[in-house]
Amino acid sequence: MTERIQISAGESRHLVLFNPHDASIDIVIERDARLIVHIVSTDGVDSDNEIHVSFTGKGSEAEFYGFALTRGTQQLRIATHVDHEVGECKSRQLFKYLVAERSKASFYGLLRVAPDAQHTDAAQTNRNILLSSDAKMHTEPQLEIYADDVKCSHGATTGQLDESALFYMQQRCLSAQTARAMLLEAFVEDVIEGLDEQQYRKVKQSIHQAL
Amino acid sequence: MLQIKDLHASIAGKEILKGVNLEVHAGEVHAIMGPNGAGKSTLSAVLTGHPSYTVTSGSVVFRGKDLLQMPPEIRAREGVFLSFQYPVEIPGVSMTNFMRTAVNSKREYEGKEPLSATDFLRLMREKKQLVELDSKLTNRSVNEGFSGGEKKRNEIFQMAMLDPVLSILDETDSGLDIDALRIVASGVNKLRTADNASIVITHYQRLLDYIVPDFVHVLADGKIILTGGKELALELEEKGYDWLTKK
Repeated sequence: MTERIQISAGESRHLVLFNPHDASIDIVIERDARLIVHIVSTDGVDSDNEIHVSFTGKGSEAEFYGFALTRGTQQLRIATHVDHEVGECKSRQLFKYLVAERSKASFYGLLRVAPDAQHTDAAQTNRNILLSSDAKMHTEPQLEIYADDVKCSHGATTGQLDESALFYMQQRCLSAQTARAMLLEAFVEDVIEGLDEQQYRKVKQSIHQAL
Repeated sequence: MLQIKDLHASIAGKEILKGVNLEVHAGEVHAIMGPNGAGKSTLSAVLTGHPSYTVTSGSVVFRGKDLLQMPPEIRAREGVFLSFQYPVEIPGVSMTNFMRTAVNSKREYEGKEPLSATDFLRLMREKKQLVELDSKLTNRSVNEGFSGGEKKRNEIFQMAMLDPVLSILDETDSGLDIDALRIVASGVNKLRTADNASIVITHYQRLLDYIVPDFVHVLADGKIILTGGKELALELEEKGYDWLTKK
């Protein structure tokens, strides 16, 4: 069932989806509102999540931060559909995945800018690290831009942990385990720093356990 | 301190070191010079345990222990330090946090208590002065956005923090202007004691005006083909390497 959330004119809201299971959320943002969404998945449970967001009033801003750590034979999908129906709104999406063991993870992000939604400012970034050679990441950014006076960007990268950084850190006396943990913590910092302290600590713990 | 015997090493199936012999004693500075592609950087990578290289035969004994059996971090904690030719940028990891973890990892290995926050900051301050490292840099991520010269100074700063027994300086002079070179070299010289030693890898004689070696070795095609005193560096500067390799 789809949950509907309305962000009223002038409102500021922070939504946190911590280990959601097959969430389906439909968010409508009215004018001059501000929204921050965190979606975090670290519990190792299969899940397929959809977030749909529509800007229906001008002057609003929304930021989406996603972090997923998948493992075992888990399958996880997060899909976002950000719809700029009107102009002069700003959206930011930053999704980071750590894909471990034999898990399969995917990110699907549709960014749509309607024909009259001029001066839209939208950016979408997806960065992923594969922690094993059996792990699989599927990323699919989609841009549908029908207005001409807009600022839109997207980017996606998937790679391994930086081996040269790892060796550099080991040469400075750090164990491989400590070095990996520091690199991964640095990688996820910007997507989890807005969480409350308890959730922040929980995410870091799950990273340490995955090493 | 260090005995390298008939060391052979390869990368991706290609043999780079073809029987290197070298003995380093406490208090000595050894310069290793040679043409590009001779295996100078490979030697430093092999001594520090870089995973891309395979040692196919030979031995390396460091203070009575088999160095080749140790993972990279144990070699480092035993006192082998490499100043990288290309120091790595590590976004999101602060210099201070990185150095605190490094110093305390070594102390733990030595059976010492971790440094208190106050003692650690005092040590940082003291060692930063040695290479005139700007305090702004230690507040940033490791090497991120540092200029070439700042990166090399940062290497020598880290060397001072970790107080190694054997320092390997891999082309520390490359990319440095004369002022930065002087600062880096004076840092290295201040760290010299009767108990530690350095291997200075360089393509040019210039650095050796400032860090005066006890021995100069010429590495060519994976072997040390000539050893001499500091005057050999001047001769190489004048004549190049061709007269040696064509023999």
